Amino acid sequence: MAMTDFSIVVRSLRTRLFSTVTTALTVAVAVALMLVLLMMRASAADAFSRGGGNMHLLISADASPLTGVLNGVFHANAPPRALSYARYEELAASLPISGNGFAIPTQQGDSFRGLPVVGTTEEFFIKFKPAPGEPWKFTQGQAFQDYFEIVVGAQAAAITGLEVGDSIYLTHGIGTSGSAGTIIKKGSLPPADLHDHDHAHHDHDHDHDAAHEHQDYLFTVSGILAPTGSPHDRAIFSEITSAWILHAHDRRMRENPNVSLTDAADLMPADRLVTGIYVGLTTRDDSAAPAVLPQVFDQLRRDPSITVASPGAEMRTLMTMVSNVDQILLAMAGVVILASAIAIMLALYNSMEQRRRQIAILRVLGASQARIFLLIITEATIVGLLGCVTGLAISLGGARLVASTMHERLGLYISPSLPAREVVLLLLATLTLAAVAGLIPATMAYRTSVARNLRPIA
Amino acid sequence: MKPALAIHALKFRYSPQPGEARDPWNLSIGALALQPGEQVLLTAGSGRGKSTLLQLIAGLLDPAEGRIEMNGTSIHGLSHAARDRFRGRHVGMIFQTFNLLQGFTALENVEAALLFSDIPAKEHTPRGEALLKSLGITKPHACIENLSVGQQQRVAVARAVAVRPTLVLADEPTASLDPANAAGAMDLIQNACKECGAALLCVSHDPSMASRFPRRVTLEELA
Repeated sequence: MAMTDFSIVVRSLRTRLFSTVTTALTVAVAVALMLVLLMMRASAADAFSRGGGNMHLLISADASPLTGVLNGVFHANAPPRALSYARYEELAASLPISGNGFAIPTQQGDSFRGLPVVGTTEEFFIKFKPAPGEPWKFTQGQAFQDYFEIVVGAQAAAITGLEVGDSIYLTHGIGTSGSAGTIIKKGSLPPADLHDHDHAHHDHDHDHDAAHEHQDYLFTVSGILAPTGSPHDRAIFSEITSAWILHAHDRRMRENPNVSLTDAADLMPADRLVTGIYVGLTTRDDSAAPAVLPQVFDQLRRDPSITVASPGAEMRTLMTMVSNVDQILLAMAGVVILASAIAIMLALYNSMEQRRRQIAILRVLGASQARIFLLIITEATIVGLLGCVTGLAISLGGARLVASTMHERLGLYISPSLPAREVVLLLLATLTLAAVAGLIPATMAYRTSVARNLRPIA
Repeated sequence: MKPALAIHALKFRYSPQPGEARDPWNLSIGALALQPGEQVLLTAGSGRGKSTLLQLIAGLLDPAEGRIEMNGTSIHGLSHAARDRFRGRHVGMIFQTFNLLQGFTALENVEAALLFSDIPAKEHTPRGEALLKSLGITKPHACIENLSVGQQQRVAVARAVAVRPTLVLADEPTASLDPANAAGAMDLIQNACKECGAALLCVSHDPSMASRFPRRVTLEELA
């Protein structure tokens, strides 16, 4: 193929291969950083909004609506305050939840290997949907049918290895992840040093408010859920009465260490606590917010004994709060891109001294000053282009790594996706910046003295 | 028929450095003409402006006074861009140290000259290969750095005549060569110019060159 201006540029870049590669890598890192931030920003907002599902309101006794959502939907902490079951029934009766509406009680306070255990009712898996229009699905088994049965979220099952038929002891309080929560595989017997359910405890000398295993009650896995992309993937769900029985037993043990095992008949009103109420008002279809929602919300907010939150609104508030950090990170990434453009300029500038003779030769052969100028600008742009393409490739791998880490550590399911418009704008901006970076070296090339640079080298 | 080269009352002076007095003319030529295909030897002492004259003829420098015409076209009446294009089509240059493009192959060096001509791109490669072959280069795709001095000389000549220029300017083409190779190099240059019909203005202070050229001039005579 005949020589072209482009082949002169490519050959020049290849001749200085090390400099070209390192400069392009500088651009690539900057572009990848910016792309990962853009991807995560778009995906994180979506991930945070998935936990609320088709719930319109969350009622709790938490200190603020945001805290209520973080505890009740994201299972961040065991709520320190609770409502009585009687209060729950009173509230549920006052809400327009006939037909497809719901008011589902939840109770948090226990855990297993650091994973939250949420007590709730079977209605949780029937009427509540973790994402609008996406009902719960089971990969194994079914929802609990009886006390002391549990349903395990997809991520929780993956972390613990639990399967249908396995049994566990729950831990009171939020234990540390990886702490030794006992798993009794299906068909195995419980360890011999654990208690016989027919006998009372004699050696409870630990602090009942501290984290401890409820070793009198085995919970058996009845179902494993399919992934929902929501924080519920990391949770384990028990029948709510079972949760009350555990804590009622603790209470009875404090009163009388020799007390027999507790059952539902032993529950007192003070044992039946609800830490969160998932409310879905009656709607014509799953997607529309009911017209009465603002009115109901306003009415509930006036009740000083409860905290009511709109999960969607609280998440938007949270995202707004962190958006300042987001903007700072984007600005920093922008500065890194600018630094990479300066690297392009320096690399070409430094090469100019070595290339003056080459430029002079091209001028002698008939290249105009403007053509030489454009050759250098093209070189700078190509380095920018190499960096952009490499950065794009790196960002795809980097985003997967970040998403995987956030899923494992925080239970957030983030699907990294490239926001097309921002990506195109970023790449165009980077290429433009690269071309601008070539201006000074191009000007040097433009002004190269032919006569002086064609003299024989001494 | 118009002369391949015609110089009229040419005067040139380098710009003085700040604080320096204005020098008298660095170069002064009353008249010089080369007919198409004519080969002329220009001699002068070292530092008298021989290379400067060639750069003025190539349009790389601007004279203070006078006119240079090639095939009837006044070089310095053209815009800078037009002058560059004109040089690419009508002028070939051969240098003492060849001034080939490092990192490029022999063929690419020849094609680089064709790139700035008006010869169609599809003819560049076959023309370059044929020319190199005729000058004894059997490895057109070898990098310049891997060629011998003699081979590099041939590539330099091929590059200079590839566009079938009106005029070839040779600036001390044998200064770096021993006498045996110098003779061979001059044969190469003169035959190549004869074959493509280009006029040749050869600048040299080598006294052995005199017998090769039917016409010899000195800068002092031309002043």
